[in-house]
Amino acid sequence: AASGGGQGQGQGQGSGSGSGSGSARRQPLEPSLLRFLVCPLSKRPLRYEESTNELINEELGIAYPIIDGIPNMIPEAARTTRKKPPAEDSKQP
Amino acid sequence: AAAGLCPCRALLARRGGALRALCGSVRGLAAGQETHFGFQTVTEAERREKIYQVFESVAKKYDVMNDSMTLGIHRVWKDILMHKMNPSPGTLLLDVAGGTGDIAFRFINYVRSVREHQLQRKLKHHQNLSWQEISESYQEDKFKLLGDSRVVVCDINKEMLKVGKQKAQHLGYSEGLSWVLGDAEELPFDDDKFDVYTIAFGIRNVTRIDLALQEAYRVLKPGGRFLCLEFSHVSNPLLSRLYDLYSFQVIPVLGEIIAGDWKSYQYLVESIRRFPPQEELKAMIEDTGFLKVDYQNLNSGIVAIHSGFKL
Repeated sequence: AASGGGQGQGQGQGSGSGSGSGSARRQPLEPSLLRFLVCPLSKRPLRYEESTNELINEELGIAYPIIDGIPNMIPEAARTTRKKPPAEDSKQP
Repeated sequence: AAAGLCPCRALLARRGGALRALCGSVRGLAAGQETHFGFQTVTEAERREKIYQVFESVAKKYDVMNDSMTLGIHRVWKDILMHKMNPSPGTLLLDVAGGTGDIAFRFINYVRSVREHQLQRKLKHHQNLSWQEISESYQEDKFKLLGDSRVVVCDINKEMLKVGKQKAQHLGYSEGLSWVLGDAEELPFDDDKFDVYTIAFGIRNVTRIDLALQEAYRVLKPGGRFLCLEFSHVSNPLLSRLYDLYSFQVIPVLGEIIAGDWKSYQYLVESIRRFPPQEELKAMIEDTGFLKVDYQNLNSGIVAIHSGFKL
């Protein structure tokens, strides 16, 4: 009694103002995601740091990067924030 | 972990024998218990690495391969999963190992169509309103066609997520959809957050299934539902023989022809055989704390949907 297969080719009735320019390097993190996301290690809340586009766990001193709008929440990928990042002066493209 | 092993190696260089054995076991502990990768025996760390590479390799051809291997039937399995879930508008779904978005897109379609039907029914009851009033009520509901429904797709593999995101853009899915790179065994989500947790054809590739199940339990709201769609075991002997023949003779060949990757599909077929059968998985889910755990066989057990509730 399976329904007619096929993935619905449902056209998104999105707001229409889709982020068409895929060339945008620094895609912003969807703000509502912050409601759900926590540090995978400590399960504690994170702070979004706009300048480096990272999610910071102040307590443990680690930062998770956001790449192409996708937060990378794998602990191995996180960097420690104890030392000030050297790229503080240079503008990030 | 690697840093901790360096002093070991220095010691090894000077002395041998017992120390070597000791460090060997320490390395074993660091890399993890012995486990399986298909029919091979490997350490947990090796297994994670190998599985990552499998999906990195197949990501771009993943959907095509699914259609070829299952003759398109995987679409039906996923549709059935969605109908079983029967999400109402406002549902918060976490789709783990959701890579290329098959479940997420279906969820969005389903919730949208439920909403449309609700709207149509509402309009039918507004026969005595003026056109002005009807169009106004339609307008405000239209913007919330998705309601508060959201799906978060979580996958450990960057390539799979990339393919999923591109597909979403291509097919026009944007609202109510988020992508997160995360580990099923160590989810980056807060407790008691989601109405439904799905893992479709993913739990087989998790190294510590018990941890993934515990995390699923943690992030679900009380009353939330766990749904797992996965290859399972065929008990019918004749069908089982045919299935084995198809799996081991045809699938890796298809993998080579279509994706240029025999080994990954050999792994796939072996991993299905290694995965616990229906009753065993049911017990694991129950052990985690889920209640009303049940399963439904599809195609005589080639695939099974396991369901449980956090109550």
